This record gives sequence, C-alpha cells and structure tokens, in this order.
Amino acid sequence: MTDEQQLDKTWGPPTGPFAWLTEVNHKHVGMRYIVTAFFFLILGGLEAGLMRLQLSRPDNNFLSPDMYNQIFTMHGTTMMFLFAVPMMEGMAVYFVPLMIGTRDMAFPKLNLYGYYVYLAGGLFLYVMFFLNAGPDAGWFAYTPLSGPQFAPGKRVDTWAQMITFTEMSGLIVAVEVVVTVFKMRAPGMSLNRIPLFVWSMVIISFMIMFAMPAVMLDSGFLALDRLIATHFFNRSEGGDPIYYQHMFWFFGHPEVYIIFIPGLGFISSILTTFTRRKIFGYAVMVASLVFTGFMAFGLWVHHMFAVGLPQLGQSFFTAASMMIAIPTGVQIFCWIATIWRGALTIRTPVLYVIGFFVIFMIGGMTGIFVASVPLDWQLTDTFFVVAHLHYVLIGGAVFPLFGAFHYWFPKWTGRMYSEKLGAISFWLLLIGFNVTFFPMHILGVMGMPRRIYTYQSQLGWGTMNAIASGGAVLMVLGILTMIVNFLVHRRTGEPAGDNPWGADTLEWGTASPPPNYNFLHLPTVAGPNALWDAAPDQAIVEGLALDEREILVTHVLDAEPSHREELPTHSIWPFIVALATTFCLIGAIFYAWIFTVGAVITGFTLIGWFWVEAVKHSAEDPEIA
Amino acid sequence: MNARVIDVSDLEYGPADSRSLLWWGNLSMMVIEGTMFAMLVATYLYLRTVNLDWPPTTVIKPDLTLPTVNLLIMLLSCIPMVIADKAAKRGDVTVVRIGFAICIAAGIAILVIRSMSFAEIGYKWSDHAYGSFVWTAAGFHTFHTIAATGETALLLIYSFIRRIVKKHLLDFRCTAVYWYFIVIMWLPFYLIVYIAPYVMRKERF
Repeated sequence: MTDEQQLDKTWGPPTGPFAWLTEVNHKHVGMRYIVTAFFFLILGGLEAGLMRLQLSRPDNNFLSPDMYNQIFTMHGTTMMFLFAVPMMEGMAVYFVPLMIGTRDMAFPKLNLYGYYVYLAGGLFLYVMFFLNAGPDAGWFAYTPLSGPQFAPGKRVDTWAQMITFTEMSGLIVAVEVVVTVFKMRAPGMSLNRIPLFVWSMVIISFMIMFAMPAVMLDSGFLALDRLIATHFFNRSEGGDPIYYQHMFWFFGHPEVYIIFIPGLGFISSILTTFTRRKIFGYAVMVASLVFTGFMAFGLWVHHMFAVGLPQLGQSFFTAASMMIAIPTGVQIFCWIATIWRGALTIRTPVLYVIGFFVIFMIGGMTGIFVASVPLDWQLTDTFFVVAHLHYVLIGGAVFPLFGAFHYWFPKWTGRMYSEKLGAISFWLLLIGFNVTFFPMHILGVMGMPRRIYTYQSQLGWGTMNAIASGGAVLMVLGILTMIVNFLVHRRTGEPAGDNPWGADTLEWGTASPPPNYNFLHLPTVAGPNALWDAAPDQAIVEGLALDEREILVTHVLDAEPSHREELPTHSIWPFIVALATTFCLIGAIFYAWIFTVGAVITGFTLIGWFWVEAVKHSAEDPEIA
Repeated sequence: MNARVIDVSDLEYGPADSRSLLWWGNLSMMVIEGTMFAMLVATYLYLRTVNLDWPPTTVIKPDLTLPTVNLLIMLLSCIPMVIADKAAKRGDVTVVRIGFAICIAAGIAILVIRSMSFAEIGYKWSDHAYGSFVWTAAGFHTFHTIAATGETALLLIYSFIRRIVKKHLLDFRCTAVYWYFIVIMWLPFYLIVYIAPYVMRKERF
C-alpha cells in the first residue's frame, strides 16, 4: 500500500449504512454547513419574494396581516441565524485547516455535533412555521411585544429556542477555529504570515465567544419569562423591557460584523490572487480587522436611539459609530493600492468584489445617516433602514460570498465554472439588487414604515414598491443562473487542476478536490504568501503516523513544531448527543420539566461520547494504570 | 529537485500541559461561560439601577451561615484538586483518584447545602425580578457544579475500568482547571446574593 492509500484509509470516510451520520472530516462537515446554509438562503429568499409580492401594489390582500408578520420574522431570522453566520462558519470549517496546512480541525467530533445542532435548530423553526407556530415578533423579538402578555402561544418560544441551537453551534465553530489556527498551523506560518482570510475567521471567532453568550442569555431570559413566569422584562415586577434591547444589541451589533468581516477575508484572498500581488499593508489590514472586532462591542446603542436614552450616551455612541469608518476605510484604501500596483485580471470573483465596493460604499454612506441621532429619529423603523441594512449585509457579506463561491468552486469540485454564466449572474444580481433596494431609501424618506403588510394607494408608495418588486425578480434570476452554473459545471466543467488561478494560499497546493488527508506531506511556510514565497526546495514535514489520525501541533506565535497529537476518528455519538440536546431544548418549550430530564439524558449520552478505548500509541505512550 | 524534510517523528506525543489542544479548548469554553456569568452580574447591576428598592422591600436579609459554610467547602475543595492536578502532571494516578474522590464528596456536599440554603431563601423566581435573577443565577451555577462533579466522577470511574495512558493525564488536568473555574465563578454570586443585601441595599426611604 502506498502512503497515499494508507492515509486515505486512515482519514477517509467510514463504511456501513449509517456511516454518513458519523463522518467527522472537516471538509464534509464544512460542505454540509455550506449546502444547508445555502438551502436556508433560498428559503429566506422565497419569504422575501412573498413579501415583495404582497407589497408590489397598494391594498393587496395576497398575504394576511398575521401571515405577513410570520413571513418577515422568518425572513430575518432565517437570513441572520440560519444563513449568514452558519455559511461563514461553513467556509471557515472547510478552508481554515487547508489554508494553515493541517489535516482536520482541533475537535472533529465536536465539529460534527455543532453541525447537527444547527441543523436541528433550523428544522425546528421551519416545522413550527408550517404548524402555524412560526415566530411573528420580528427577528429581534423586542419585549414587551414578545413577552407573555402580548405574544401568547408557542410562536416566540420557537424563536427563543432556535437562538439557543444556532448560537451553540456558532460557539462550537468559534472554539474550533481559534484552537485550530493558534495551535495547528504549518511550521513557519508565524502570526504575521497567516492569510487574511484566516485572520478574519479568528477575529469573528473571538467576537462570537464574547457576543453570542449575551443573546443566549437574553433569549433564555425571554423564554423563562414566558414559560416559568420570571420577571426579567416585566416593568411592574422590577424588570425592564429596555434591558432586553441592550442585551440583544450587545450581541446584535457584533453579529453584523461577524457576518461582514469574513467578507473582507474573501476579498483579500480574491484580490491577492487576481492582482498577482501580495496585499498592500498586511499589518495594517490585520490591525484594522482587530480594531473593527473590538469597536463592534462599543456601538450597540446606535440601534436604540429612538428608545429615549440619555443624550450624552447617544452622542458617545454616534461618535463610536462614525469611528468604525476608519478601519473600514483603511482596508478599502489598502485594496485599492493592491489593485493599483498589481495587474488586475477580471474574472467572476473579481466582478463580485467590484460589486461589493459599489454596494457597500452606498451602505456605508447611509450608515453615516442613521448613525446621526437627528436623522435616525426621522428614519428609524422606515424602509430607509431596510435599504441600509440590505446594502450593508448583501453588499458586505453576500457579494463577497458569491465571489468566494466562484473563486473556490474549482477547489471544491476540480472543475471550472462558466465565466459567461458567472458574469451574467453577477450583472443580474447587481442590477436586480439596486433596483430592489435603492427605491426603499426613497420610500423611507417618504415615510413608509417597515413591517406593514399593506398601504393605501393615495399614499403614493405604489410605484416605488412595484419597481422594488420587479428588481427582486432579477435577483431570483441571478441566483438561479449561479445555481445552474454550479450544478452543470460541477461534473462537466473544464478540469481545473490544483491551482487554476496561480493563487498563493496553501489550499491551492493540494489536489482539487482535496484528498481526505488534505496534504500528503504537511507543508512548511516561508512567507505571508505561502505558495509564492516557497523556496524551490521548500521543506516538507515527515514522520507523522500514516495509520492513525496524527497531527502536528505547533507553537502559537512562531508556529515552530511543538508535539504530535492524535485526533478522534468518526463516531455516531455526536449525532446521538445532538438528538438528546434537541429533545431537551424543544421539549422545554412545551413542558419546562423536560429541560431537566433532557439535560440528564444528554449528560448520559455524553458518557458514550467520552467512553472510547485509548489507542495505545506506541512504546513512547506507555500504559500508566 | 528534492525538498528538504523536517522529521517530526521524534517530537513528544500528547504532552499533558498547556501546549495541548484540549487545554486550549477548555480555556475557550471557560471564556464563553465566563462571559455568561459576567452578563448575569451585569443583569443584577442593571436591574439595580432601574429599581428604587433593590432587593425589593419584601426580601429579608438572608441567613449567612449555610452559604458561608458552603463557600468554605468550595474553596477548600480546591486543595485536593490542586494535589490531584500536580499528581496528574507527574503521572501518579493513585493520588489523582484520591483527590478526585474527595472532590466528588465535596461536590455532593456543596449541592446538598445549596439546596438547603435555597429552601429557606423566602421568595421564588416568579415573585419579582430580583427573585428571577437570584434563582436563575443560582440555577445556572448549580447546573455547572453538577456537570463538574459528574465529569470528575466519570473520570474516576473510567480510571478504574479502562487503561489509562498519557493522554488521560491531560483529561485529569483539564477537569481540575474547570473545577477551579466553577469555584471562582461562585464568588461574585455569593457577594451579590448574600452580602449585597447587607452592604449595598438600595432603599427609597
């Protein structure tokens, strides 16, 4: 047996009828995240389409007010919690180990568990929606509207518990990424040589670790208020509904950057490759990302200007919000300098990056509008805010993401997509996006509130709404073109080879699609652009076991080799523990005592997870007792 | 051309110290849970600012005997845990087992005394926001204490049934670190729930 065959056997998928439930390889888990999140993107997009259909003309009665409330809540919830963050996490799970030159993530079983928990949360939300128990209090479910007094039934409980699922999976991926990047980088990849994509994932992982506990606690308090009559948000018993908003946005603002910082990472990867030049101002770029991550926690009150808070506080948060333009501006100028000094090749990923520049710039401008208290008071809860947030999130995250899809499609499949279809999808999306969302600025200024299910014709909002709905059709066509492009060329495209773009990061240094073991010999790194800076005789790592899942652990700062460790192999227990967790969390919203029972069951299933026979490694790992 | 080769086969295998992956994973989990505990403390302080009476006037000053005894047991339980931790570092499984057994007993004592002290606290979570906070915070910490005690017990049982190799020493050490974390995390809640009503009671009149 050759080394390749032996490694493939060691790191490859298990066999058997239920093997697909047990596969822990990071590429499988990452791809499942990506496909599942894409599926939720389509569902969220369909909901958006229903809303656009309803609003396309005045006095429309296509959707009932109650259904409209559920649909816009489902749309926001799906896009934020089931599409955007899990999609970025999926990209991290797939690419981080490849980009830093190792064979898997630090905790493979936990990784798989995180995916199942996310999937369970998403399915739970949609099953409840189809049972007419979909949440209907908006994607941030403000109290007291979402409290026990004004939202009886199970609808808001569904929302609150879905948060627990998705945030748990988010936290799991965050821990995975931090430990993997800090401890498992290829020898030589010191901190100042980590690709910017990986930096962006590390930074959002730290943000997740400090932001998501807040929303878990917040939605937990909401569920407790609703289910066992606590009074956290009940003013008459000493609680405070405003506190819900504080805690939500202490998470919610970082959340926006958790979605958009990976986009910056995609852009840096794409621009480096297609300008064929190392990124301008690497250290400044990293510092800007870190600064953005920190600043994100000092901005939350700008979502609450209309609540009635002390004026000094509002001024402070206005200033802090303006300050975020500094690191973002620095990065944009660094990218422009990179393009300026390089030789830009226009391919579909680059088109999407240019789309990002255009759209995100407009979103940033309107951001300055709504960060100013007087304007915000005029514009809050109008369609202007809807336009702003879509310009920022679709421009800042979705366009770079679609660029990244095209950029890495050859790595995923080993085939090239069609440039022609890629360009068509881009132009449809760019035009469709602007036709859909630009009129919403005007509608907002005209006074159209968000979250209304219909409006009277004499208000004069009909034309703009009709235009916006027409734009949505173009966006649907754009996405369909992209899907067709990918599905068709997945098997029939031109063979791509290992590195069709001549790119610089390590994932392009192995086969396309990558083998189960990622690299035959773990690589070493001599500069910030690993493949470009490699010496002709760049060293490789040897001496890791072939017949077990052994990996090399390196030191945090300089990535010098430290020691070897064994990673766990595939297992059914992540699935079983996820089932127990699901029972515990879903049962709790029907009968509070099920939480206790479910927690005990989950605890016992964890014993199964941990109860593995220690593989006796070798003479150097002797039995102690 | 032939690539140079870095041979790693001589490197140490699975050291039981702060270089290992599990150690970092454990730290990350404590960062997440520490944030949760910090947000709970923030909740108390926030609600204190929006209420004229905090705790509410109906809440009597709690009896300090049982909670203080319990706090002492928690702090003292760190001593056998430190000894077990040091023993794990040098590979002495027998001492680890003894230390763990003492800590499990301490964990059970802590849980029993805590339920006794909560039986006499005099208000429920559904009485007012203050009660909601106290019961939620205590419940949250108790949940973690049960988990830490259970984890220690599982490892102790495992150490008798299955072969113990070097990587299990790391498991012992991470369990010890988590135990310290759980003990330290109770300190702010002890101060808030039991001491604050004496020293920083907020009253309208």
